[in-house]
Amino acid sequence: MRVMIAEDSVLLREGLERLLTEAGIEVTGTSDTADKLLTLVANDEPDAAIVDIRLPPTHTDEGMKAALAIRADHHDVGVVVLSQYVEVGLAMQLLGDSAAGAGYLLKDRISNVSDFIDAVRRVADGGSAIDPTIVSALISKQTNRDPLARLTPREGEVLALMAEGRSNQGIAERLVITLRAVEKYVSSIFSKLDLATTGSDSKRVLAVLLYLRG
Amino acid sequence: MGSRVRPEVGVESTVTVPSRWTVVILVFGAFLSATVLIWLASTNESLNRPGLQAGLACWITVPYIVAGLIAWRRRPESRLGALMVTAGFATFINFLIWSDNDLLFTLGVAGQFLPPVLFLHVFLSFPSGRLESRPDRVVVAAAYVAAGLTVLALALGEEAPRNVLAVVDASRLAEAIQGLQLLMVSVLSLTGVALLIRRRLRSGRPMRASLGLLVDSFSLILVMIALLLLAGLLGWTTVQGPIRLATFAAVGVAPIVFLIGLLQAQLGRGSVAKLMVDLGVNPGPVELQDAVARALRDPSVRLAYWLPEFGSYADVDGREISLELEQGRSATPIMRDGLPVATLLHNSALSAEPLLLSSVVAAAGMAIHNARLQVELRARLEELRGSRARILHAEQRERRRLERDLHDGAQHRLVGVSLELGELRDRVSEDPELAARVDEARQEVAASLAELRDLAHGIHPATVSDHGLGVALESLTTRATVPVHLHAELHDRLPEPVELAAFYLVSEALANITKHARASSGTVELTREEERLVVEVMDDGVGGATTERGTGLRGLADRIEALGGRLQVWSPPGKGTRLRAEIPCA
Repeated sequence: MRVMIAEDSVLLREGLERLLTEAGIEVTGTSDTADKLLTLVANDEPDAAIVDIRLPPTHTDEGMKAALAIRADHHDVGVVVLSQYVEVGLAMQLLGDSAAGAGYLLKDRISNVSDFIDAVRRVADGGSAIDPTIVSALISKQTNRDPLARLTPREGEVLALMAEGRSNQGIAERLVITLRAVEKYVSSIFSKLDLATTGSDSKRVLAVLLYLRG
Repeated sequence: MGSRVRPEVGVESTVTVPSRWTVVILVFGAFLSATVLIWLASTNESLNRPGLQAGLACWITVPYIVAGLIAWRRRPESRLGALMVTAGFATFINFLIWSDNDLLFTLGVAGQFLPPVLFLHVFLSFPSGRLESRPDRVVVAAAYVAAGLTVLALALGEEAPRNVLAVVDASRLAEAIQGLQLLMVSVLSLTGVALLIRRRLRSGRPMRASLGLLVDSFSLILVMIALLLLAGLLGWTTVQGPIRLATFAAVGVAPIVFLIGLLQAQLGRGSVAKLMVDLGVNPGPVELQDAVARALRDPSVRLAYWLPEFGSYADVDGREISLELEQGRSATPIMRDGLPVATLLHNSALSAEPLLLSSVVAAAGMAIHNARLQVELRARLEELRGSRARILHAEQRERRRLERDLHDGAQHRLVGVSLELGELRDRVSEDPELAARVDEARQEVAASLAELRDLAHGIHPATVSDHGLGVALESLTTRATVPVHLHAELHDRLPEPVELAAFYLVSEALANITKHARASSGTVELTREEERLVVEVMDDGVGGATTERGTGLRGLADRIEALGGRLQVWSPPGKGTRLRAEIPCA
């Protein structure tokens, strides 16, 4: 697996590179600006690009713009946006009409190495990784809404992990239950929420997020 | 009442009103001239269609004298009246060539070029009666010289033997001189046309239809005169008759158009009375300016008030304006006790009516003085608003810098530390006790990061600046404790202070809903109305919110007012709360 990094803080850039390399992921390019990243990606498409949302020169939306540009022009390159704030609006903006190959994570998440590596791998494989904080914010807003209130606590947990972009296998490992059980919860959730069952994990992510956003 | 306001107008006026006797004599002269013309025409046997000839002669003589007299009486500050009277009598003298008396005939011949030259003088000196520009003066002086050459031609035996002034008989030379005169006067008339056209183009938008009509008719008459003279020079005998008829007909129209213009000026005087009525209701600066513009019949009129404390001029809204004049605009200073009060900016054509200007200014004097006080107050408010906005901007800049420092400094370092701890945790997984302690440290760092994030966000909502109001509001409404419906029609980014003000308003309103309103749902609506952003936040809670001092809403109102907007709150007890902010975002 090949990954590129755009991060202007030397400390974090080197930390990320080390962390990914140790996990067996090849880092094929690093940059401190959005423009440089776009050139790198155009020259040699990686499986995923990890982009700090704030990049020079203005440290505002350069990283976000670069992420959207990569998603528009390089469909096979997954994009993980690292943000210092939890912004539902930004997450939805990044996903657009497809959650495939998209990740939006709080910067702090990189300290939970195995979770972070897992998220990067998912996105590189065309899946999704949505920060749990975003998902819980959306869910907590909707808890009193009727179909959602009828979910059992376990179903709620499965829904949240689904929205983060985890596969059924991933959910089973996380909750230490069987894959069969997860499948049962998922179909129960979809029927309670009156959602059409969809094929891929990333389609499931978008459907659930849009449902939660109301 | 205090001291009487006596505004002084900076317009010079040398006024000489003709005495009653002068008028009586001149009217009698006009009457006599007409009688003489008819008598001369009827007794002259060589004259073709004497009735028509006499009529034409009177048509271009009497109206000039009459119109000139009226102008002289009504507009004594203009020399035009006297000039027109002179033109009328000069035309009369010209017709003495019909006389069978040789002396009178010679007199008529001597004045043969005077009428066209005087018409040229009248037209170019309209409306002040003075030749304002150097080219005007040169052209008219040259025309008088050309007309004066007749004396030389007469001495050389022109029109001999009836010419009593003939000294020698050199009629060929005399004819050559006359040809030269015809050429000179026709060329100078055409030059006059060019000068009139230039003046018309320069005056910008014509203020009055009659003024443009006058200048056009002047141009036409001068062209006709030039044509007539050229026809004489080139010997086009067949067309000379019709051209002569047409020229005379046109020449006679000028005094009538002139009288119409004069009559309109008289109506202007009447509008001063209307102005007095308008001023009775103590108008504000805007109404006053409109009233003055109406009285002067110049919609382009602007009053620029002198504000000594600011050392500058201000318009009706208290905003500084420059007195630099464009082409075709004039400034008339308005003084009080020798000090400037205001300056009237108007179309240059008004300068020709100094009496109208001064009477309007005199009538509006007290109102202008009062309006200046209001304008001064507005200028102060404008200045205050500006300084509030500057303070707000400075504060925002500082907060933004702080947030950026926190992010680039402490936040990055903590993430770095947490990253180190994460890697460390993977290496000590065999030692449960150590692993537990590292996990604990990681959680501490994570908690610190979360606190820091909230702190930084509280200092400055970076998402608003970085990604726009729409994105920031989506997160804000998502975090609300009750369902909040967001309708935001925001297609473009707005100026940062506007976006921040709107964000803080929604943020505070949602916090109030959580804390005080006991609402079950809320609505946030943002719409762009022309150059304003309208933000409305509604809830179905208990109401009773106010913008009284000390509340969060008061600070928001201050912030919005500093941007020139306003915040309205409807919050009747038990009926929910509705906040509406309008923020200009030009």
